[in-house]
Amino acid sequence: MARNVVETARKFLLLGQCVPTVKQNAAKIRVKRLELDENLLMYFRKDEFYYCHDPQKVCKTGDIVLIQSLPQKLTKLITHEVKEVVYPFGDITDPITGKKVAKERYREDMDRQAEIYGKLPSSFDYDKAPSRGWQDGKKDFTSKPTYTKFHVFDENDPYAI
Amino acid sequence: MLRRLACTVVQSRGIKHTVNVKWVRPDYVPSYKPEKSGDLEGLPPIPESALGKDYALSEEIKDASEAVKKIFSVGHLGRKEYNVLVKKEMMDRVKRHQYDQGSAETKIAYLTGQIRYLQDTMDKFPRNKRMKQLVQERIDRRKKLLKYLRQYDYKKFEWILEKLNIEYKAHPDSFHKLSRKESLKRLTEMHCDDIRNKKLADYRSLLESQQGPFLKQKLEALKFIRNEQQELQLQVTVTEQDIQKVEKLLADWTIKDEIKQQAQKKKKSILLDSD
Repeated sequence: MARNVVETARKFLLLGQCVPTVKQNAAKIRVKRLELDENLLMYFRKDEFYYCHDPQKVCKTGDIVLIQSLPQKLTKLITHEVKEVVYPFGDITDPITGKKVAKERYREDMDRQAEIYGKLPSSFDYDKAPSRGWQDGKKDFTSKPTYTKFHVFDENDPYAI
Repeated sequence: MLRRLACTVVQSRGIKHTVNVKWVRPDYVPSYKPEKSGDLEGLPPIPESALGKDYALSEEIKDASEAVKKIFSVGHLGRKEYNVLVKKEMMDRVKRHQYDQGSAETKIAYLTGQIRYLQDTMDKFPRNKRMKQLVQERIDRRKKLLKYLRQYDYKKFEWILEKLNIEYKAHPDSFHKLSRKESLKRLTEMHCDDIRNKKLADYRSLLESQQGPFLKQKLEALKFIRNEQQELQLQVTVTEQDIQKVEKLLADWTIKDEIKQQAQKKKKSILLDSD
Protein backbone atom coordinates (compact mmCIF):
# COMPACT_ATOMS: atom_id res chain seq x y z
CA MET A 1 0.00 0.00 0.00
CA ALA A 2 2.58 2.46 1.14
CA ARG A 3 4.92 1.56 -1.68
CA ASN A 4 2.18 2.10 -4.27
CA VAL A 5 1.52 5.53 -2.90
CA VAL A 6 5.19 6.42 -3.07
CA GLU A 7 5.47 5.21 -6.66
CA THR A 8 2.43 7.07 -7.87
CA ALA A 9 3.62 10.18 -6.06
CA ARG A 10 6.75 10.03 -8.16
CA LYS A 11 4.88 9.86 -11.44
CA PHE A 12 2.19 12.47 -10.99
CA LEU A 13 1.95 16.07 -10.05
CA LEU A 14 0.96 16.70 -6.44
CA LEU A 15 -1.14 19.51 -5.06
CA GLY A 16 -0.01 20.87 -1.73
CA GLN A 17 0.20 23.89 0.47
CA CYS A 18 3.39 25.77 1.24
CA VAL A 19 4.15 25.86 4.97
CA PRO A 20 6.68 28.00 6.87
CA THR A 21 10.21 26.64 6.93
CA VAL A 22 13.68 27.73 7.98
CA LYS A 23 15.25 26.33 4.80
CA GLN A 24 16.27 29.21 2.58
CA ASN A 25 16.68 27.55 -0.78
CA ALA A 26 13.70 25.20 -0.65
CA ALA A 27 9.98 25.34 -0.10
CA LYS A 28 8.29 22.96 2.30
CA ILE A 29 5.05 21.64 0.87
CA ARG A 30 2.36 19.81 2.82
CA VAL A 31 0.32 17.32 0.84
CA LYS A 32 -2.88 16.22 2.51
CA ARG A 33 -3.95 12.63 2.04
CA LEU A 34 -6.58 10.35 3.45
CA GLU A 35 -5.49 7.00 4.77
CA LEU A 36 -7.84 4.07 5.26
CA ASP A 37 -7.79 2.48 8.67
CA GLU A 38 -8.66 -1.11 7.83
CA ASN A 39 -9.89 -1.97 11.31
CA LEU A 40 -12.31 0.90 11.56
CA LEU A 41 -12.94 1.19 7.80
CA MET A 42 -12.58 4.91 8.13
CA TYR A 43 -10.39 7.42 6.42
CA PHE A 44 -8.04 9.53 8.50
CA ARG A 45 -6.07 12.52 7.44
CA LYS A 46 -2.38 11.98 6.89
CA ASP A 47 0.00 14.74 5.93
CA GLU A 48 3.14 14.27 3.90
CA PHE A 49 5.85 16.89 3.66
CA TYR A 50 8.05 17.42 0.63
CA TYR A 51 10.95 19.81 0.29
CA CYS A 52 10.84 21.37 -3.13
CA HIS A 53 13.44 23.11 -5.22
CA ASP A 54 12.35 26.69 -5.81
CA PRO A 55 15.22 28.90 -7.03
CA GLN A 56 13.03 31.85 -8.10
CA LYS A 57 11.04 31.72 -4.84
CA VAL A 58 7.72 31.74 -6.63
CA CYS A 59 5.73 30.27 -3.77
CA LYS A 60 5.16 31.96 -0.45
CA THR A 61 3.75 30.60 2.78
CA GLY A 62 0.16 29.45 2.36
CA ASP A 63 0.12 29.20 -1.43
CA ILE A 64 -1.44 26.13 -3.04
CA VAL A 65 1.14 24.80 -5.51
CA LEU A 66 1.70 21.96 -7.93
CA ILE A 67 4.87 19.97 -7.36
CA GLN A 68 6.60 17.22 -9.27
CA SER A 69 9.42 14.92 -8.31
CA LEU A 70 12.86 15.63 -9.72
CA PRO A 71 14.50 12.94 -11.88
CA GLN A 72 17.30 12.85 -9.32
CA LYS A 73 17.41 13.96 -5.73
CA LEU A 74 18.96 17.40 -5.53
CA THR A 75 20.09 16.98 -1.94
CA LYS A 76 19.28 14.52 0.79
CA LEU A 77 16.16 16.55 1.55
CA ILE A 78 15.05 18.17 -1.69
CA THR A 79 13.21 15.66 -3.85
CA HIS A 80 10.62 17.72 -5.70
CA GLU A 81 10.35 20.95 -7.61
CA VAL A 82 7.64 23.60 -7.64
CA LYS A 83 5.84 23.59 -10.99
CA GLU A 84 3.25 26.29 -10.60
CA VAL A 85 1.40 28.36 -8.05
CA VAL A 86 -2.26 27.47 -8.50
CA TYR A 87 -3.94 29.56 -5.80
CA PRO A 88 -1.95 32.41 -4.22
CA PHE A 89 -2.75 32.77 -0.52
CA GLY A 90 -5.17 35.52 0.41
CA ASP A 91 -5.73 36.66 -3.17
CA ILE A 92 -8.78 34.73 -4.28
CA THR A 93 -10.33 34.95 -7.72
CA ASP A 94 -13.86 33.75 -8.38
CA PRO A 95 -13.50 31.00 -11.03
CA ILE A 96 -16.84 31.75 -12.70
CA THR A 97 -16.75 35.53 -13.12
CA GLY A 98 -12.98 35.99 -12.82
CA LYS A 99 -13.40 38.79 -10.32
CA LYS A 100 -11.40 39.21 -7.13
CA VAL A 101 -13.07 38.10 -3.95
CA ALA A 102 -12.61 38.89 -0.26
CA LYS A 103 -14.39 36.31 1.87
CA GLU A 104 -17.93 35.94 0.48
CA ARG A 105 -18.08 39.28 -1.37
CA TYR A 106 -16.61 40.78 -4.52
CA ARG A 107 -14.06 43.48 -3.90
CA GLU A 108 -15.74 45.84 -6.37
CA ASP A 109 -19.05 45.45 -4.55
CA MET A 110 -17.41 46.48 -1.31
CA ASP A 111 -15.88 49.48 -3.06
CA ARG A 112 -19.27 50.47 -4.50
CA GLN A 113 -20.89 50.23 -1.10
CA ALA A 114 -18.22 52.48 0.35
CA GLU A 115 -18.72 54.97 -2.47
CA ILE A 116 -22.47 55.11 -1.88
CA TYR A 117 -21.94 55.79 1.83
CA GLY A 118 -19.19 58.28 1.02
CA LYS A 119 -15.73 56.85 0.70
CA LEU A 120 -13.14 58.18 3.13
CA PRO A 121 -9.46 58.68 2.24
CA SER A 122 -8.56 56.30 5.07
CA SER A 123 -10.17 53.36 3.24
CA PHE A 124 -8.05 50.67 1.66
CA ASP A 125 -7.40 50.94 -2.07
CA TYR A 126 -6.70 47.66 -3.86
CA ASP A 127 -5.26 49.33 -6.96
CA LYS A 128 -2.58 51.25 -5.07
CA ALA A 129 -1.72 48.41 -2.72
CA PRO A 130 1.67 46.79 -3.30
CA SER A 131 1.76 43.04 -3.91
CA ARG A 132 2.21 40.66 -1.03
CA GLY A 133 5.54 40.53 0.75
CA TRP A 134 6.37 44.17 1.55
CA GLN A 135 5.82 43.60 5.27
CA ASP A 136 7.54 40.22 5.36
CA GLY A 137 10.17 40.24 8.11
CA LYS A 138 9.12 43.73 9.25
CA LYS A 139 5.70 43.35 10.81
CA ASP A 140 4.51 40.12 9.27
CA PHE A 141 6.44 37.16 10.70
CA THR A 142 4.87 34.19 8.99
CA SER A 143 7.48 32.97 6.53
CA LYS A 144 9.34 30.97 9.18
CA PRO A 145 7.95 28.83 11.98
CA THR A 146 7.73 30.48 15.39
CA TYR A 147 8.97 28.75 18.52
CA THR A 148 9.04 29.19 22.26
CA LYS A 149 11.91 31.41 23.35
CA PHE A 150 14.44 29.17 25.08
CA HIS A 151 17.55 31.29 25.62
CA VAL A 152 18.61 34.92 25.88
CA PHE A 153 20.74 35.56 22.82
CA ASP A 154 22.58 38.76 21.99
CA GLU A 155 20.40 39.24 18.94
CA ASN A 156 16.69 39.01 19.49
CA ASP A 157 14.99 36.65 17.06
CA PRO A 158 11.50 37.92 16.14
CA TYR A 159 10.34 34.35 15.53
CA ALA A 160 10.93 33.45 19.20
CA ILE A 161 7.79 33.93 21.25
CA MET B 1 32.36 6.48 52.58
CA LEU B 2 34.88 6.37 49.76
CA ARG B 3 32.42 4.67 47.46
CA ARG B 4 29.82 7.32 48.12
CA LEU B 5 32.34 10.04 47.36
CA ALA B 6 33.33 8.35 44.12
CA CYS B 7 29.65 8.11 43.18
CA THR B 8 29.08 11.82 43.64
CA VAL B 9 32.18 12.61 41.61
CA VAL B 10 31.31 10.29 38.73
CA GLN B 11 27.62 11.08 38.74
CA SER B 12 27.17 14.02 36.44
CA ARG B 13 24.81 15.02 33.71
CA GLY B 14 26.67 14.58 30.46
CA ILE B 15 25.45 17.54 28.51
CA LYS B 16 25.96 19.96 31.30
CA HIS B 17 29.63 19.22 31.79
CA THR B 18 31.04 18.06 28.48
CA VAL B 19 29.67 20.84 26.33
CA ASN B 20 30.50 24.40 27.12
CA VAL B 21 27.11 26.05 26.73
CA LYS B 22 25.65 28.48 29.17
CA TRP B 23 21.92 28.67 29.40
CA VAL B 24 20.13 31.83 30.46
CA ARG B 25 16.45 31.32 31.11
CA PRO B 26 14.41 34.06 29.42
CA ASP B 27 12.63 36.37 31.82
CA TYR B 28 8.93 35.95 32.32
CA VAL B 29 6.99 38.52 30.32
CA PRO B 30 3.29 38.85 31.17
CA SER B 31 1.14 38.15 28.14
CA TYR B 32 -0.62 41.52 28.24
CA LYS B 33 2.67 43.36 27.60
CA PRO B 34 3.08 45.06 24.20
CA GLU B 35 6.09 42.89 23.29
CA LYS B 36 3.85 39.82 23.60
CA SER B 37 0.73 41.30 22.03
CA GLY B 38 2.68 42.81 19.13
CA ASP B 39 1.74 46.47 19.63
CA LEU B 40 4.60 48.61 18.41
CA GLU B 41 3.24 51.91 19.71
CA GLY B 42 1.43 53.04 22.81
CA LEU B 43 -1.57 55.30 23.20
CA PRO B 44 -2.12 57.90 20.47
CA PRO B 45 -1.14 61.47 21.45
CA ILE B 46 -4.48 62.88 22.58
CA PRO B 47 -4.13 66.06 24.69
CA GLU B 48 -5.94 66.31 28.01
CA SER B 49 -7.69 69.44 26.73
CA ALA B 50 -9.42 67.54 23.89
CA LEU B 51 -13.22 67.66 24.16
CA GLY B 52 -15.25 64.55 24.86
CA LYS B 53 -16.51 62.72 21.76
CA ASP B 54 -20.18 63.74 21.94
CA TYR B 55 -19.62 67.17 23.47
CA ALA B 56 -17.34 68.14 20.57
CA LEU B 57 -20.36 67.90 18.23
CA SER B 58 -22.27 70.55 20.15
CA GLU B 59 -22.69 74.03 18.62
CA GLU B 60 -22.63 75.85 21.94
CA ILE B 61 -19.21 74.58 22.97
CA LYS B 62 -17.51 76.21 19.98
CA ASP B 63 -17.86 79.73 21.37
CA ALA B 64 -17.90 78.78 25.03
CA SER B 65 -15.47 80.16 27.57
CA GLU B 66 -12.22 78.44 28.54
CA ALA B 67 -13.66 77.30 31.86
CA VAL B 68 -16.60 75.54 30.16
CA LYS B 69 -14.26 73.91 27.64
CA LYS B 70 -12.14 72.70 30.51
CA ILE B 71 -15.13 71.08 32.17
CA PHE B 72 -15.98 69.17 28.99
CA SER B 73 -12.39 68.15 28.24
CA VAL B 74 -11.30 64.51 28.59
CA GLY B 75 -8.88 65.52 31.32
CA HIS B 76 -11.82 66.59 33.43
CA LEU B 77 -14.44 64.11 32.22
CA GLY B 78 -12.29 61.16 33.16
CA ARG B 79 -10.52 58.15 31.74
CA LYS B 80 -13.63 56.61 30.22
CA GLU B 81 -14.15 59.53 27.83
CA TYR B 82 -10.45 59.54 26.99
CA ASN B 83 -10.65 55.86 26.04
CA VAL B 84 -13.57 56.59 23.73
CA LEU B 85 -11.31 59.03 21.88
CA VAL B 86 -8.54 56.42 21.70
CA LYS B 87 -10.88 53.91 20.05
CA LYS B 88 -12.18 56.60 17.67
CA GLU B 89 -8.64 57.57 16.69
CA MET B 90 -7.71 53.97 15.91
CA MET B 91 -10.89 53.41 13.89
CA ASP B 92 -10.42 56.62 11.93
CA ARG B 93 -7.14 55.29 10.60
CA VAL B 94 -8.80 52.46 8.66
CA LYS B 95 -12.47 53.40 8.23
CA ARG B 96 -14.01 52.71 4.82
CA HIS B 97 -16.85 55.19 5.18
CA GLN B 98 -18.50 57.27 7.87
CA TYR B 99 -20.83 54.53 9.10
CA ASP B 100 -18.31 51.69 8.92
CA GLN B 101 -18.50 49.69 12.15
CA GLY B 102 -18.62 46.04 11.21
CA SER B 103 -15.84 45.52 8.69
CA ALA B 104 -12.87 43.41 9.75
CA GLU B 105 -10.44 46.31 9.69
CA THR B 106 -12.60 48.53 11.92
CA LYS B 107 -13.15 45.65 14.33
CA ILE B 108 -9.40 45.12 14.54
CA ALA B 109 -8.82 48.84 15.00
CA TYR B 110 -11.47 49.02 17.76
CA LEU B 111 -9.87 46.09 19.59
CA THR B 112 -6.44 47.67 19.14
CA GLY B 113 -7.67 50.85 20.81
CA GLN B 114 -9.08 48.84 23.70
CA ILE B 115 -5.89 46.82 24.04
CA ARG B 116 -3.69 49.92 24.10
CA TYR B 117 -5.56 51.72 26.87
CA LEU B 118 -6.01 48.54 28.88
CA GLN B 119 -2.28 47.87 28.61
CA ASP B 120 -1.66 51.40 29.82
CA THR B 121 -3.87 50.84 32.86
CA MET B 122 -2.32 47.42 33.50
CA ASP B 123 1.08 49.07 33.80
CA LYS B 124 -0.33 51.22 36.59
CA PHE B 125 -2.21 48.40 38.33
CA PRO B 126 -0.39 45.16 37.53
CA ARG B 127 -2.31 43.16 40.15
CA ASN B 128 -5.69 43.80 38.57
CA LYS B 129 -6.61 40.23 37.60
CA ARG B 130 -9.96 41.07 36.03
CA MET B 131 -8.35 43.58 33.71
CA LYS B 132 -5.57 41.17 32.83
CA GLN B 133 -8.19 38.74 31.64
CA LEU B 134 -9.97 41.45 29.64
CA VAL B 135 -6.77 42.43 27.82
CA GLN B 136 -5.96 38.81 27.08
CA GLU B 137 -9.41 38.21 25.61
CA ARG B 138 -9.09 41.21 23.34
CA ILE B 139 -5.57 40.32 22.23
CA ASP B 140 -6.68 36.81 21.34
CA ARG B 141 -9.76 38.00 19.48
CA ARG B 142 -7.69 40.49 17.48
CA LYS B 143 -5.17 37.81 16.62
CA LYS B 144 -7.95 35.55 15.41
CA LEU B 145 -9.42 38.31 13.23
CA LEU B 146 -5.95 39.05 11.81
CA LYS B 147 -5.49 35.36 11.08
CA TYR B 148 -8.74 35.23 9.13
CA LEU B 149 -8.00 38.50 7.33
CA ARG B 150 -4.65 37.08 6.28
CA GLN B 151 -6.40 34.06 4.81
CA TYR B 152 -8.90 35.90 2.66
CA ASP B 153 -7.20 39.23 1.92
CA TYR B 154 -3.45 39.34 2.26
CA LYS B 155 -3.00 42.81 0.82
CA LYS B 156 -5.38 44.35 3.33
CA PHE B 157 -3.73 42.35 6.12
CA GLU B 158 -0.33 43.88 5.37
CA TRP B 159 -1.82 47.34 5.00
CA ILE B 160 -3.56 47.13 8.38
CA LEU B 161 -0.36 45.99 10.10
CA GLU B 162 1.32 49.13 8.79
CA LYS B 163 -1.59 51.45 9.61
CA LEU B 164 -2.18 50.29 13.17
CA ASN B 165 1.49 49.47 13.83
CA ILE B 166 0.98 45.86 14.91
CA GLU B 167 3.28 42.89 14.58
CA TYR B 168 1.80 39.57 13.55
CA LYS B 169 3.46 36.31 14.50
CA ALA B 170 1.90 32.97 13.74
CA HIS B 171 1.20 30.54 16.56
CA PRO B 172 4.08 28.15 17.32
CA ASP B 173 3.61 24.42 16.65
CA SER B 174 3.23 23.67 20.32
CA PHE B 175 2.65 25.74 23.40
CA HIS B 176 4.55 24.10 26.25
CA LYS B 177 6.32 25.04 29.39
CA LEU B 178 9.96 25.71 28.76
CA SER B 179 12.23 23.06 30.26
CA ARG B 180 15.89 23.14 31.08
CA LYS B 181 16.50 19.88 29.25
CA GLU B 182 14.93 21.04 25.98
CA SER B 183 16.79 24.35 26.06
CA LEU B 184 20.13 22.67 26.70
CA LYS B 185 19.44 20.18 23.94
CA ARG B 186 18.75 22.91 21.43
CA LEU B 187 21.75 24.96 22.54
CA THR B 188 23.98 21.90 22.22
CA GLU B 189 22.66 21.24 18.73
CA MET B 190 23.46 24.81 17.76
CA HIS B 191 26.93 24.49 19.28
CA CYS B 192 27.57 21.29 17.30
CA ASP B 193 26.33 22.92 14.11
CA ASP B 194 28.69 25.83 14.67
CA ILE B 195 31.64 23.47 15.09
CA ARG B 196 30.69 21.52 11.98
CA ASN B 197 30.23 24.64 9.87
CA LYS B 198 33.49 26.10 11.08
CA LYS B 199 35.41 22.94 10.19
CA LEU B 200 33.78 22.80 6.77
CA ALA B 201 34.59 26.47 6.12
CA ASP B 202 38.21 25.94 7.19
CA TYR B 203 38.57 22.93 4.91
CA ARG B 204 37.00 24.85 2.06
CA SER B 205 39.38 27.78 2.45
CA LEU B 206 42.31 25.36 2.60
CA LEU B 207 41.27 23.73 -0.67
CA GLU B 208 40.62 27.11 -2.28
CA SER B 209 44.09 28.34 -1.28
CA GLN B 210 45.56 25.32 -3.09
CA GLN B 211 43.60 26.09 -6.26
CA GLY B 212 45.87 28.96 -7.36
CA PRO B 213 49.20 27.14 -7.39
CA PHE B 214 47.58 24.15 -9.07
CA LEU B 215 46.08 26.31 -11.83
CA LYS B 216 49.47 27.97 -12.44
CA GLN B 217 51.08 24.56 -12.75
CA LYS B 218 48.33 23.37 -15.06
CA LEU B 219 48.70 26.41 -17.29
CA GLU B 220 52.43 25.89 -17.63
CA ALA B 221 51.96 22.21 -18.35
CA LEU B 222 49.32 22.84 -21.00
CA LYS B 223 51.47 25.45 -22.73
CA PHE B 224 54.47 23.13 -22.64
CA ILE B 225 52.46 20.24 -24.12
CA ARG B 226 51.10 22.43 -26.89
CA ASN B 227 54.54 23.76 -27.79
CA GLU B 228 56.05 20.28 -27.82
CA GLN B 229 53.25 18.92 -29.99
CA GLN B 230 53.65 21.79 -32.46
CA GLU B 231 57.43 21.43 -32.59
CA LEU B 232 57.33 17.68 -33.12
CA GLN B 233 54.50 18.10 -35.64
CA LEU B 234 52.24 15.71 -33.78
CA GLN B 235 48.47 15.93 -33.52
CA VAL B 236 47.70 19.00 -31.36
CA THR B 237 45.38 17.86 -28.56
CA VAL B 238 45.53 21.03 -26.43
CA THR B 239 43.52 23.83 -27.99
CA GLU B 240 43.86 27.57 -27.41
CA GLN B 241 40.46 27.52 -25.77
CA ASP B 242 41.61 25.09 -23.10
CA ILE B 243 44.45 27.39 -22.18
CA GLN B 244 42.19 30.44 -22.17
CA LYS B 245 39.75 28.66 -19.88
CA VAL B 246 42.47 27.93 -17.36
CA GLU B 247 43.75 31.51 -17.62
CA LYS B 248 40.28 32.82 -16.88
CA LEU B 249 39.92 30.53 -13.86
CA LEU B 250 43.29 31.70 -12.58
CA ALA B 251 42.33 35.38 -13.01
CA ASP B 252 39.09 34.76 -11.12
CA TRP B 253 40.95 33.00 -8.35
CA THR B 254 43.48 35.83 -7.93
CA ILE B 255 40.67 38.39 -7.56
CA LYS B 256 38.92 36.22 -4.99
CA ASP B 257 42.14 35.56 -3.12
CA GLU B 258 42.92 39.28 -2.89
CA ILE B 259 39.48 40.02 -1.46
CA LYS B 260 39.89 37.23 1.05
CA GLN B 261 43.31 38.40 2.18
CA GLN B 262 42.13 41.97 2.57
CA ALA B 263 39.24 40.76 4.73
CA GLN B 264 41.67 38.75 6.86
CA LYS B 265 43.93 41.80 7.26
CA LYS B 266 40.95 43.90 8.35
CA LYS B 267 39.93 41.26 10.88
CA LYS B 268 43.46 41.14 12.27
CA SER B 269 43.69 44.91 12.57
CA ILE B 270 40.31 45.05 14.32
CA LEU B 271 41.46 42.38 16.75
CA LEU B 272 44.71 44.27 17.42
CA ASP B 273 42.80 47.51 17.94
CA SER B 274 40.43 45.90 20.38
CA ASP B 275 43.37 44.45 22.33
